[in-house]
Amino acid sequence: MSFILTVALSIAAYSIAVLGTFMLTGMNGLFSLGQAAFMGLGAYVSAIMVVNYHLPFAVAILIAIVVAMGLAVLVGFATLRIRQDFFALATFGFGQAVTGLMTEMVNVTGGAMGFSNIPRLTTPTIAFISLAVAIVFVWGFRRSHFGKDSLAIRSNELAAKVEGIDVFKHKLTVFVLSAAFAAYAGALMAFHTRYVEPAMYGWIASVTWIIIVFFGGRDSLTGTVLGSIILLAAPEALRFTTAWRTLVYCVLILVIINLRPRGLFGTWELSLKPVINLFRPKKHQEVQ
Amino acid sequence: MQLTVLLQQVINGLSLGAVYALIAVGYALVFNVLKFSNFAHGGVLGISAYAGYIVANQLHWPLIPVILVGILTGAVVAVLVELIAFRWIRLQKGQLVYFFVTSVTMLMALEQVLIIRFGASFESYPYTLLKVKVIHLGELTISITYLLSLVLTIIAFSVLLYILKKTKIGIAIRAASNDLVATSLMGINVDQIIVATFIVSGFLGGLSGVLYGISASLSPQIGQIVVKGFIASVLGGLGSLKGVAMAAVALGVFEVFLVATIGSGLAPVVIFLLMVTFLLVRPQGFAGVSFMDKA
Repeated sequence: MSFILTVALSIAAYSIAVLGTFMLTGMNGLFSLGQAAFMGLGAYVSAIMVVNYHLPFAVAILIAIVVAMGLAVLVGFATLRIRQDFFALATFGFGQAVTGLMTEMVNVTGGAMGFSNIPRLTTPTIAFISLAVAIVFVWGFRRSHFGKDSLAIRSNELAAKVEGIDVFKHKLTVFVLSAAFAAYAGALMAFHTRYVEPAMYGWIASVTWIIIVFFGGRDSLTGTVLGSIILLAAPEALRFTTAWRTLVYCVLILVIINLRPRGLFGTWELSLKPVINLFRPKKHQEVQ
Repeated sequence: MQLTVLLQQVINGLSLGAVYALIAVGYALVFNVLKFSNFAHGGVLGISAYAGYIVANQLHWPLIPVILVGILTGAVVAVLVELIAFRWIRLQKGQLVYFFVTSVTMLMALEQVLIIRFGASFESYPYTLLKVKVIHLGELTISITYLLSLVLTIIAFSVLLYILKKTKIGIAIRAASNDLVATSLMGINVDQIIVATFIVSGFLGGLSGVLYGISASLSPQIGQIVVKGFIASVLGGLGSLKGVAMAAVALGVFEVFLVATIGSGLAPVVIFLLMVTFLLVRPQGFAGVSFMDKA
């Protein structure tokens, strides 16, 4: 596989996780500092299922997603009723606990040395189709009644409650969905890089996804996708030295958020409407 | 577990908890005024720890000036962070979430500065800085570095308490914590108060950085310890500095105890479970100050 294709595949997989964060943090206003742990769960569970239990790839991914969703239900059930800071804290603790367990259960996970010898099963086709499906899903989510409820909760939770939205159930559903996205992305990555280790799934990774969402613009799906491509590709493009590039990357984010507080793309969405309008016959102007 | 071993762990935990309390209170000060999670506090702490390290290691300064350098660096960096990451968004009346995003970015940026300057390796303060001595109390041994952390934390909190309760600027900070808009309507220059808050928070951050560097080791990732402040602030009940400090000490003792009994791998699992249970049983936090979202 060529270098560019390898990088593009990773970007596609990570973008799926970022889309999960877009739904959770961007649209619902919930900050999860344990999103990467769901990615880790997806990666580890699917890899172990395939390597140790010889299950088919698709079944392993399905199991991984179900495990992640189940844990998300548990964590969300315990913490989404109370204040939002608690949710951030609880998901942070959850992430630490998951990576802690991954390090501790040496005979299952390989501990801090990581889990290797995973077959390369993720093809570029699978990754790109998955990303496309995920984008369409989130696009539909945003247009749906359910997605509009999300935005209502984000802007004023109390008002949303008064309008008759079951806020707790709604948040729980979105959290579980975002966990599924992260787990799926994790599985794709595991069968692409063929190696996973607990250190890849710390809270900094979760925070990076949140930054990407705000960088692109939390009110723009196009912005989130393009932002995630830009920021995930940036470390590869800025190839001077490893240390300097992260600094440049951070400065870039600071500049963008300072100058364009609503994100790089604001509320702009890519749409075909302007193109279609070009070909449409001009309507007669109404008489005033 | 023997009683003496247990007591020993409590002492170790208290000194770790003291440093956590410094971190947490510095973090909570900014939270109270601007109402966002200031993870950049970790970056401030990291830069100060390394500033202290430079003067201790290369200029061979003694202990007290080293600590002062750390504290001053903390204040300067905190003000710079405010200018770079928060000032502009605040003037544009940006939403709170953007502060969080820029603060985490600042943490990562400051961490990178340390990596560029010092490499990713671990460093430690020179041993000559603080003669390694232990005090024996019966079967208990207390390291002098632990004692230093405890004493300096107590001094720092006394000074902080004095500033917040007695000085004009402290009263203004408390007013701003209560309601920023009302404070500005009372004719107080809010911009100055916010800078003052960052300076005080930077003092505490600088001190905690140097203390943590002396009692543990230094690595560019040192800034990530700010999450202990985050944990303690939420558990302590945001809004109450006393509760935050108490929660931080409890966290330190718990951590030392858990690492000693079940190891560092499983400790986060137990801490997570304890945390969730605590939040469910006592959502108002340690201090019992309950503040709900505005109804």
